[in-house]
Order: sequence, then structure tokens, then C-alpha cells
Amino acid sequence: MTAESTTSAATAETIRHELLGFLAERIKTTVEPEQDLFSSGLVSSMFAMQLVVHLEEAYDIAIVGPDLKLDSFRTVESMTALVLRLKDADDPAGDA
Amino acid sequence: MPEPLADERAFLGELIGDRAGAWDLAGELPLDLLHKAGARGLLCAQVPASFGGLGATSQDNGEFTAYAGSLDSSLRSIMTSQGIVAYTVQRFGDRAQRRHYLAELTSGKLAGVGFSEPGAGSDLSSMETSIEPDGDGFVVNGEKKWLTGARYADYLLILGRNGDAAAAAMIPVDSPGLEIDLVADPMGCRAAGHANVRFTGIRLPASAVLGGGGQSLPMLFTTALSYGRMSIAWGCAGIIRACLQAAGTHTRNRTQGGVALAEHQLVRRHLAELLIAEQTSTRICEHASRSWDSGSPDMAVMAVLAKHTSAGHAAGSAATAVQLLGSAGAQDGHVVARAYRDAKLMELIEGSNEICQLILAEHALSITG
Ligand SMILES: Cc1cc2nc3c(=O)[nH]c(=O)nc-3n(C[C@H](O)[C@H](O)[C@H](O)COP(=O)(O)OP(=O)(O)OC[C@H]3O[C@@H](n4cnc5c(N)ncnc54)[C@H](O)[C@@H]3O)c2cc1C
Repeated sequence: MTAESTTSAATAETIRHELLGFLAERIKTTVEPEQDLFSSGLVSSMFAMQLVVHLEEAYDIAIVGPDLKLDSFRTVESMTALVLRLKDADDPAGDA
Repeated sequence: MPEPLADERAFLGELIGDRAGAWDLAGELPLDLLHKAGARGLLCAQVPASFGGLGATSQDNGEFTAYAGSLDSSLRSIMTSQGIVAYTVQRFGDRAQRRHYLAELTSGKLAGVGFSEPGAGSDLSSMETSIEPDGDGFVVNGEKKWLTGARYADYLLILGRNGDAAAAAMIPVDSPGLEIDLVADPMGCRAAGHANVRFTGIRLPASAVLGGGGQSLPMLFTTALSYGRMSIAWGCAGIIRACLQAAGTHTRNRTQGGVALAEHQLVRRHLAELLIAEQTSTRICEHASRSWDSGSPDMAVMAVLAKHTSAGHAAGSAATAVQLLGSAGAQDGHVVARAYRDAKLMELIEGSNEICQLILAEHALSITG
């Protein structure tokens, strides 16, 4: 599992790399870091939820409330930024 | 090992007693019973203790839901709706919303959820209800169909469009501009209080829209539906248990041709099939709950698998049980007659058989090279 090894020292580079790999494996398409996954129809409704749970599991974060906005998930870049921000936050899991 | 939620189970068993048949015939549940069950957190048992809930795992709430489903699918479907609302608030609500609404949902307030519209049943992406900013709040316009529990609810959680994204709003039922029309004579879950609801220019404060809106519509409805699918899957396992119980007892005690019905081989095969259905459904529900409790990325797909399997087995088992009971079960209100009508509808909602098959086929393609 690629995600496990990135947990301790996740950088933008490793997260981006891992996410691109996860997407390639799950949706069988190579995507670009800036590609809009939602408007291009690449993300099925099932996969939208898998993506959230995957990020939470792989990076030990809780994505809830206002962090679950569409804009946070549109591209690999925006998801990478979300993960980095939540990992850095003092209270990443909120009170969920 | 003490059974998890044992006290809650006993409490619920006592609340329901032998009255489910009468509620089915009357087409109504006693409101005070729903408030009592709600005030103990029973209608959404997975709400964490830090928010006032029972903090049950998916597995423990699942067994509890199956117990409710074995007694009364109308009440169980109210649990499903309340649980969907609580889970959606827990995921998409901001901190203040989680505190506020989860406290209410575990202390007696009741909530239903609206996805379906006249033009958006299986295809929820064609939803048209709008939840748009208006001054410092929001305004809601649109129409929703068949909301379980709307008759009893204090709030309706409504999904709709929000710009090019989506939003979910907690709408108090006494909001000006909200019209509730009961669905007349539903075929199953007759006492669950289904209603069609219309929203005309309903004004809401910003605090009523979860997380401020701007979510992905598929992410929003899949998250909400996934909880519902787990709940229905377990509820259907309960329906099957009730059918197995009724069929076992009846075929042992009723004599025809000089022997108990259960001595006839063709009857025995039915009993074996009921057991197989009960075990298959229970195990697949347990598997899905384990995915849920461990936060597996496959949890949404496993919920579909469990829902589809259990609903199909419940519909088949209910038909078998009616067959085995003969005229003894052929009256509305009877546990197997209710099961027969209720289970069929479980093959339609929260992803019909066909929609579940499409999702599972997609998954099959994604795991094969
Ligand atoms: C008891 C009950 C409780 C309910 N509670 C709620 C509730 O609380 N909240 C809520 O929002 N809604 C609720 N509903 C509505 C329910 O979600 C819808 O009935 C369901 O989504 C199916 O939509 P539909 O009835 O419009 O059927 P349709 O979508 O019109 O489907 C009719 C048939 O066509 C098939 N079909 C549709 N599309 C396809 C396809 N692409 N490929 C193959 N076959 C297809 C379906 O499988 C089905 O067999 C409830 C319904 C019932 C019966």
C-alpha cells in the first residue's frame, strides 16, 4: 500500500504522487494534477466518497464540515493542498 | 459477552410490544413512542457520545437495527432516515451545526431526508431543488417525493443545487413556504409517514445549510445514501429473521396429512432456504459494517453489496414465509404479510436492484485488469 509509507513524511510531492497512483488504479485513467476530476465526469458518485475515505485513512486526517467542499476535491492539486493543511492544523480532526 | 445495546434493545422491544400489526393497519405510529425512542438516542445510535449519542459501532447499531426490523419495518425506516440525517450532519456540518443538530437528534427531535424528486428518482444527478444564497441566508425552492417520516418530523434535511455545486439544508417543518402532503396508502412500511413536500421561497439562516454549502452533489448523496444502505441492509436481515421465526414455529405446530408441515420435504427445503437467506444476509452485513468501522475506502461499495443482497433475500424470504403460513399469514398486519409488502419496497429504495447492479458492475470493472 503506497499510502502507508507516505503517512509519516508526507510532502506535496509524495501526496501528489500517491494520489495520481490511487486514481490511476481506481478509475483506470491517467489524470493530470490540475485536471478537474468532477466536471470531466471521471469521478462516479461511489468514487467521490471513496476518495474522501481514502484520504482520511491514508493521511490520518478527518475531513468534515466546511473542508468537504467540492473545490477541495476538484483536482489532485487541491486535494494535496487539503491534506497538507489538515495535517498541519493543530486540531485536524475538529471534534468529529 | 454481554450483548451490545442490550438495554436499548429491551427498551425498544417493550415500546413496540405486539402492536406493530395494529400500526400497520392504522397506517400510523404513535408520535410519543418516536419521541421516547429518539430521546434515548435509539433512532441514530452511531452518533458519537461526545455529541450526546450512544456512540455505537456500525456493527452494533446494525444488530440493533435488525432487531427493530424484525419487529416493525415502519419504525426501522424512521431509524434509517434519522440516522442518515445524523450522519450527514456529522460529516458535512461545521462544528456549531454538529453540536446543535446532533444534540437535538439524540434528545427527541425527529428528522426526515429528501433526495427524490418528480424528475429525479434513480438518477439523483438530475435533482432540481435549489438552495441558493439570499441576503445573509439562503432560499429554498423545489419539490421532494416520498420522504419517510415527514409526517412526524421536526426537520427535513433537503439536498439541492447550490450554484454549480450542491448543498444540504436542515429545514424546520414549520417554515413558511413548506407544504407537506401525505402519501396515501403506501404499499409497505405503511406507518412510516411518507409525504411529498413542496418548498416555495423558504428562507433559512446561514446556520441551517450544512458546512455553508458548496459540496459535490455525488459526494453528498452517496455519503447520505451509504448510511441508509447499511441501515436498510441490516433492517432486511431483521425481516428475514422474523420470517424464519414465523415459518419455523408455524410449520412445526400445524399438522396436515397427519404430520407436522415441517415433516414434508418440500416444506423443509423452504426452511433451509430461509436459513441460508438469514445467514447470507447477516454475514454480508457484518462484512460491510467491518468496512465501515475500519474506515475502508470500499465502505460505500460494500454498503451497496449488503443492501442489494439483503433486500433481495428479504423479498424472497417474505414470499416463502407467506407460502409456508398459508391462510394463517394472509392478512394485513400479520408479520409475514407486512414482511412481504415491506421487503418488496426495500428492493426499490436507496438504489433499486438495477441501480445497485450497475454500481456493482462498475466496481467489478474497477477491480479487474
Ligand atoms: C417506502 C419508500 C420510502 C422512501 N423514502 C424516501 C425518503 O425518505 N427520501 C427520499 O428522498 N426518497 C424516498 N423514497 C423514494 C425512493 O428513493 C425512490 O422511489 C427511488 O429512488 C426510485 O426512484 P423512482 O421511484 O423515481 O423510480 P425510477 O427511478 O423511475 O425507477 C423505476 C424503475 O426503473 C429502473 N431504472 C431506473 N433507471 C435505470 C437504469 N439506469 N438502468 C436500469 N434500470 C433503471 C429502476 O431500477 C426501477 O426498477 C422512498 C420510496 C419508497 C417506496
